[in-house]
Amino acid sequence: MLQIDDLTVRYRTPGGVLEALSSISISAEKGRTLALVGESGSGKSTVALAAMGLLPQEAEIASGKIVFDGRDIGAMSFEERRQLRGSRLGLVFQDPFSVLNPSLPIGEQVGEGLVHHRGFSKAQAFERAVELLNEVGIVNPQAVAKAYPHELSGGMRQRALIAGALAPEPDLLILDEPTTALDVTIEAQILDLLEQLRTSRGLTMLFISHNLGVVRRIADEVAVLYAGQIVEHGSTTEVLHHPVHPYSKGLLAAIPRIGLKQHRLAAIPGRLPDLRKPPSGCRFITRCPFATPSSDAPQTLRQVGERKVRCANAEPLRDTPWPRPEQVAEPIDLSARNQKPIVSVTDLTKTFRLGGGWRFDGWRPRKVETLLTPVNAISLDIRQGEVLGLVGESGSGKTTLGRTILRLIDPDAGTIRIGSETISDKPQRELEAMRRTAQIVFQNPDSSLNPRKTIGELLARPIERFGLVPKAEIPARVRALLDLVRLPAHYADRYAHQMSGGEKQRVGIARALATEPKFIVCDEPVSALDVSVQAAIVNLLADLRDRLGVAYLFISHDISVVAHLADRIAVMNRGELVEIGDADTVMNNPQHPYTIKLLSAVPRVDAAMQART
Amino acid sequence: MTAYVVRRLLFVVLVLVAVSMLVFGITALLPANVAYLILGPFAPPEQVRALELKLGLTDPIWQQYLRWASGFLTGDLGESTLMNRPIGPLLAEAIGRSLMLTGASFVLIAVIGVGLGIVAALRHGRPLDHGVSVGTYLGIAVPEFFWAIVVIMVFAAWLGWLPASGYESPSAGLWIWAQHLIAPTITLVFGHLAHVSRLTRSSMIEVLQSPYVTAARAKGLPERVIVLHHALRNALLPTITVLALDFGRLMGGIVVVETIFAYPGLGRLIVFSIQNRDLPTLQASILVVAAIYALANLMADLLYARFNPKIRFGRNVG
Amino acid sequence: MSGDATTASAAAPEKPPRRPMSLQLKVGLAITGTMVLLGLLAPWIAPHPWDTISMRTRFLAPNATYWLGTDEYGRDVLSRLLMGARLSIAMGVAATVVSLAIGVPMGLAAGYFRGWTDEVLMRLADILMAVPPIMLGLLVLAVTPPALWKTALAVGFVYIPLIARIARSVTLTLANEEFIQAAKARAESNWYILFREILPNAWPPLLVEASLRVTYAILLGSALSFLGLGAQPPSSDWGLMISEARSFIDRAPWIALAPGIAMCVLVIGINLLGDGARERLDPRLKARIGKR
Repeated sequence: MLQIDDLTVRYRTPGGVLEALSSISISAEKGRTLALVGESGSGKSTVALAAMGLLPQEAEIASGKIVFDGRDIGAMSFEERRQLRGSRLGLVFQDPFSVLNPSLPIGEQVGEGLVHHRGFSKAQAFERAVELLNEVGIVNPQAVAKAYPHELSGGMRQRALIAGALAPEPDLLILDEPTTALDVTIEAQILDLLEQLRTSRGLTMLFISHNLGVVRRIADEVAVLYAGQIVEHGSTTEVLHHPVHPYSKGLLAAIPRIGLKQHRLAAIPGRLPDLRKPPSGCRFITRCPFATPSSDAPQTLRQVGERKVRCANAEPLRDTPWPRPEQVAEPIDLSARNQKPIVSVTDLTKTFRLGGGWRFDGWRPRKVETLLTPVNAISLDIRQGEVLGLVGESGSGKTTLGRTILRLIDPDAGTIRIGSETISDKPQRELEAMRRTAQIVFQNPDSSLNPRKTIGELLARPIERFGLVPKAEIPARVRALLDLVRLPAHYADRYAHQMSGGEKQRVGIARALATEPKFIVCDEPVSALDVSVQAAIVNLLADLRDRLGVAYLFISHDISVVAHLADRIAVMNRGELVEIGDADTVMNNPQHPYTIKLLSAVPRVDAAMQART
Repeated sequence: MTAYVVRRLLFVVLVLVAVSMLVFGITALLPANVAYLILGPFAPPEQVRALELKLGLTDPIWQQYLRWASGFLTGDLGESTLMNRPIGPLLAEAIGRSLMLTGASFVLIAVIGVGLGIVAALRHGRPLDHGVSVGTYLGIAVPEFFWAIVVIMVFAAWLGWLPASGYESPSAGLWIWAQHLIAPTITLVFGHLAHVSRLTRSSMIEVLQSPYVTAARAKGLPERVIVLHHALRNALLPTITVLALDFGRLMGGIVVVETIFAYPGLGRLIVFSIQNRDLPTLQASILVVAAIYALANLMADLLYARFNPKIRFGRNVG
Repeated sequence: MSGDATTASAAAPEKPPRRPMSLQLKVGLAITGTMVLLGLLAPWIAPHPWDTISMRTRFLAPNATYWLGTDEYGRDVLSRLLMGARLSIAMGVAATVVSLAIGVPMGLAAGYFRGWTDEVLMRLADILMAVPPIMLGLLVLAVTPPALWKTALAVGFVYIPLIARIARSVTLTLANEEFIQAAKARAESNWYILFREILPNAWPPLLVEASLRVTYAILLGSALSFLGLGAQPPSSDWGLMISEARSFIDRAPWIALAPGIAMCVLVIGINLLGDGARERLDPRLKARIGKR
């Protein structure tokens, strides 16, 4: 159906020419699903744009061709290409929040492909749009078709986008991270929908994702991309269950798995090579634990058994697993850990008033208020040195809860005790002692470090603020902190923009540790990071807990990460705590229907492959 | 939507009350003594005292303000201290003439400015776009009074096509009336075109690079439909606000332009009343300008709301 | 040891490569720099005295001695132009400093504290913005005898709300950053957060905007001078020069053209500089101020 041959794409950037894709060759067979897998910077989205002929101006196809249904897309005229797009080639984008036109009704946007490709009248197209919306599982299609994008939730928008791409009945659908912006339960519904469409319509799909669990559910074949090259390409079962290329092995080993509690996760050290001057040899060499001197030579993608692998040592490495992380010192005494709670929250409630204002009831003005209660009568304890995992979907109130406990948001009702101090009713200026004991690590490493300060200044400030050591000893303290999060001492002179995402997150952790806290709120600390980096940060947090005996409230939407790290798990839904208990109990024997639904929706990479037709 | 309109109307009233206080406050509170301003710095004290009593200047400031403001509401704008005529009719004439001038200029600016901006955005990075950009830089940099002099030099002094200054009422003949309007209109249009076309261009470019336009391309829609149907309506939303701002700038521009072309409108009245220390006329004129400006902004906000579904529909389907 | 990111990255101390200056920025820098330099050096490089009246040399067209000709009092136009450059630049800068000095703290406070502080400050700005700038300037200057420094002050006053709005929107963006939450989590004072965390990040975009505001101030100031409410004769302020030359346009157009063109060049130069600098800003902040 779609065949990409030897495709190389370069981007002109201010810092030089960047080779985003190097000699990529893939083909999607009719009625089958091919997944392109890779982390950020792998070039996977460029493949989608190139196939659609939608590359931005600064991109250039240096070599290769894209053949669709026997015709070379590159050789077509602009008009021919336009007629192909939409009608035979559909594209679904990653972010459902910005790809719908804010000032056109949904129905029109779903049906417009029919008007331009299939000669429908506007009224016919609208009617068909309503049918399609119904088909993709929207409950009230008539009303939704007349609505505008801002009136719809993320899941509904993604369904509408899929309906729009399907409308002219294309032969091939390219999906670029179609579920990444969505919650797991919505993600599961969208994946079911795609699977069902595939069987009912014989759709061919090119599915682009970083999430191996999702890929496992949907794809027949997988191509793993690393730094603009395909490193491994084969059937989903083979690649995901018995990876051969070292990068695939590392990627799979780094994923925390539900039901398999490891002491530490495997992680891939280092970072992507600079694609402005790509290495001539193996691009994974600096991060590869199996590298030999001969790996320096250029690697080719070659047949190894049923699959293709870009590694000269593929055969000897076939059954060698990614090295297991070594066991660190035994955790501090478990019994000591279970003594008394360091944090104790009772009936905590926070209500926001939204969009308060005057509306008109006929001619009578009336005060309206929308109330939102993201934290509703929540009670929980966190013991010394314990990790309490807090799971919930977007909008469940988990971040608000974390910040309210630290009094970064003032509660409306309930009590908070940290250590031996009740802090819920104290004014901000009397919270100094608590602010030393309780700290926070944030989600977004780009936003959590002041870009105008050096790392040294960032780490020195809390020490200075609380007068923890004499001034002369501060530099030594900073070095000790950097060492604690395994960053070299000379990083003290750097600025945030000179570091990678994972390194920035380490600095964020070091800053929280600077005041020698007993309790840290970790607010989605790994969700902005790639899987291989995420594993290293999770391990670091685990090590620090064991060495320093700090307690965490570990907030995440990713249940597998929480399950890996937490001693106990709390589940939040719409501001309420629906379930809390021992990690193993919650994972293996969930009681609340919401927890059960959440757990069953998580795409697992190690689940059995579905039977495919 | 009703609630929104009512809220905006209330705010306009509030702003006008505040502006009236500001106008009154600045003119009444600044160290200069109004009586001295009128009579000259060497007037005998008794005379000054008498005038102060006559004008009520010895009353507390808030009483003076209330008297002035209530006069305004009942249509009594007071008397021009210089011309000894009621300000109302004086102002009405001037407003009419100024609106002719600004109205004509505004329509031209809106049509040409928005048009140029869109064309430049569609030819982004090509010669035409660069041409418009260079023109824009010139347009922004040249002060109105210099444009005016250039226009007079070219059209009146060298070509002799247009009168250099003055005003004739339409009763003197439509062509003569129009002739006197052309030169100041050209000046105003030159001076304000750049601002509008520049912002239209950048807003259009931003929209053309937005994900939903890429998505429309991915659907294989014809370029014409993408530009006219998808991009334009979103790109023009911010332009509405810009146009309203520009109407305000035009109301400022007439001060200079009317002075140079000796066009007897609101702007010239203001300069005239300043030069002759006619404070009541000055206060009234500036308040009127603020009112016109506030109404223009209100119109823009309502138009914006009309074309923006996020404001038009506050409901939620999902 | 668990996966250690440092070994590989320590070897790569890459600073993102400094982007080369755009043509726009270079031209802007060159023009603005030259004008500022000419203005500063004016008393030394002016070929003739700028204010000596000489009836014998009235209305001379540009020639070898008087490169840009002479005016109705026989004064050298080029010398007056050079002296006027310092006035225009000083006026623009002084006015901008005034509006920055008041507008920036206003905007910082409004954007950081939100709530009623924001409401009061921004409604105040709305009211000032409800009167077209030139009228507000006229109003202030109407009641006091004209002088150039008063014009600068008035122009600065007029642009306070604009600066305050920009400062507010930059602050709003920054106040949502997580490093502000981190500062709150270690009990920093509002003072520290505003001036040590927010301001160092806010000043680059503010300076860029301020540089563009300088051109507004120059144009507005010269318009006020033109109307007789700024510099007074025999000053060589460009607006005043054009105003005085108006009556002789048909006889001696160079007297008006020279300051007019000089002003255009200066304003274009500053605009190019400001736009070029804006291109190099952090995209997140650029998006916020670009809306203005």
